[in-house]
Amino acid sequence: MIARQVNFAFDAGSARKQVLFDIDFVLDRGEFVILTGPSGAGKTTLMTLIGALRSLQSGSISVLDTELAGLKAEGQREIRRKIGFIFQDHNLFDALTAFQTLSLAMTLAGRRQSRSEARTLAVTLLSKLSMEPQIDSRPRQMSTGQKQRVAIARALINEPPIIIADEPTAALDADTAALVIELLRQLVGTAGTSVLMVTHDRRIFSAANRILTMVDGRITASR
Amino acid sequence: MPPQFGLGLRLLVYNRLRLLIASASVAMGVVVIFVELGLLFGMLDAQALIANLVRGDLLVMNIARINLHRWDKLYPVRIDQAAAVPGVARVTPVYEDHVGMQDPDDKRVRRIILYAFPPDDIPFRLDDPASITHALKVSHGFLYDRLSRPIFGKFQAGDDIKLDTVPARVGGYVNIGVDIVNDGNILISKGDWLARSPDAKPIMGVIHLKPGVPVEEARRAILAALPADVSVLTPAETARRESMYTLRSAPVGILFLVGMLAGLVIGTINCYQVLYNEISDRLPQFATLKAMGFSNRFLRGVILEQAVVLSLTGFVTGMIVSWLADWYIASQSMLPIRITGPSGFIVCSLTFAMCMVAGLIAIRRVAVADPAALY
Ligand SMILES: Nc1ncnc2c1ncn2[C@@H]1O[C@H](COP(=O)(O)OP(=O)(O)OP(=O)(O)O)[C@@H](O)[C@H]1O
Ligand SMILES: [Mg+2]
Repeated sequence: MIARQVNFAFDAGSARKQVLFDIDFVLDRGEFVILTGPSGAGKTTLMTLIGALRSLQSGSISVLDTELAGLKAEGQREIRRKIGFIFQDHNLFDALTAFQTLSLAMTLAGRRQSRSEARTLAVTLLSKLSMEPQIDSRPRQMSTGQKQRVAIARALINEPPIIIADEPTAALDADTAALVIELLRQLVGTAGTSVLMVTHDRRIFSAANRILTMVDGRITASR
Repeated sequence: MPPQFGLGLRLLVYNRLRLLIASASVAMGVVVIFVELGLLFGMLDAQALIANLVRGDLLVMNIARINLHRWDKLYPVRIDQAAAVPGVARVTPVYEDHVGMQDPDDKRVRRIILYAFPPDDIPFRLDDPASITHALKVSHGFLYDRLSRPIFGKFQAGDDIKLDTVPARVGGYVNIGVDIVNDGNILISKGDWLARSPDAKPIMGVIHLKPGVPVEEARRAILAALPADVSVLTPAETARRESMYTLRSAPVGILFLVGMLAGLVIGTINCYQVLYNEISDRLPQFATLKAMGFSNRFLRGVILEQAVVLSLTGFVTGMIVSWLADWYIASQSMLPIRITGPSGFIVCSLTFAMCMVAGLIAIRRVAVADPAALY
């Protein structure tokens, strides 16, 4: 993922408010990068641009060798299918069990697989998140942390080459947060997955290859 | 995984109570349409009742009698003239009039329709013709229509009742049925009727053809042989003509059309409301699907799938309620109101169309789900 000279402003005219200024950075294959900084710095805005959830205004972002600038809705959708999104809210359908949620996500991968193959994949992933017992539970029967873990499993089930996460551990206790981070680290190490994560949680910082700090729409530090 | 995941169905079925309420609100439109159609078909059937009851190949009537509720009579000689046409086996004269029937208890007189015909040649399709023939041959006997509205008082077979002040004996019962105007029917023999009113003229002649004679040929021959003051129609043509006349006459057709449109609008709005809420309550979830890369087409499919499910559950709910409503209205009005195959098919199609329109309008709501607002 390469971002070059990205500027972004909300609204136009006198209400125009620029929130990103000349953003330049690279997320390499198999890299775990944390983005941190004060509230309102523009972290989330940058994530939505990289995730092709918004259209670029100026500059260039290339994700998996696809240029996002000028990309139509169809192309944005194609890119998004290759990205694992973890949002602050789990946004699970209350009607679907964990397995059904994952099955629905699996239909996006376009693979032909039997129900038992899908079941095996789901069981394997959920057990890594200590969620196997809840595979046939619906959100109503789960704690907030458990719901968040189903949402994380949903983002990971198709083994996306890039994972974008905004405060994924906010709803989790320390042990579960550690579990999730360990899983992400494993993916980075073995599958060459790239992770870009926004967090204020200093306990996680040690897991990252690099930590970017953003203030007032500019990346001010990298270590 | 199967390509069709059935998300719309799962979302609807998950909350049973909600689905029930949603089905009921779609069903409101269904019920209105069903009842309107039931009333319309019931009324058309009732108005054409006699035409549907007639047993014979052709009917000869006064040409001025453009609907069955007119009293234009035939010259009696037309019966004989028609009977003389080659190919015609016989022509049964049918007399129709109204008489005042007196309630034996409160002595009040109420108007009832009277049909008279030769007892040996019953022109209507009725159960147990042998006993009808037998009862009508008893002098001053008449048969009372059990499906008459219950306004003529209490009496039983063997009682003497005054018809236009002259007593007659209740000889038995038949099942005919009433329409909007007429509250009841009685049958008497041609002989008794002509004894009571010597100047009576037949209202129609029921023509029976000899075996193998083509109906069209016979019709042409009869029209050629008789003066131009008659029309010759098959019973089916008469029934159809009656229905068309009822539909066209005054505001009846329009009235039911407006009622059905109201049902359509109610159903569509309610279905839209249900779908709108289904989407609104799950906007973040739908936005998440968009973020994951599901196409708008997929999301529209989910909404339309819900619309289809609602059209089915709404139709079934509505049909059950309508069936009860029809049963109640029929028992009160004595009109033949019921759900028929055609009306069921019409309402089912309309319900589907209704929910599809609602779904297509509601689809725009999915566009509001903005994946960029999720982070
Ligand atoms: N849809 C929007 N319309 C207008 N302004 C917006 C919109 N979304 C965000 N902003 C503004 O853009 C700026 C950056 O917001 P952003 O959400 O990217 O910050 P953040 O770094 O993610 O903050 P936090 O740590 O609180 O999540 C803020 O000043 C915010 O008010
Ligand atoms: Mg943010």
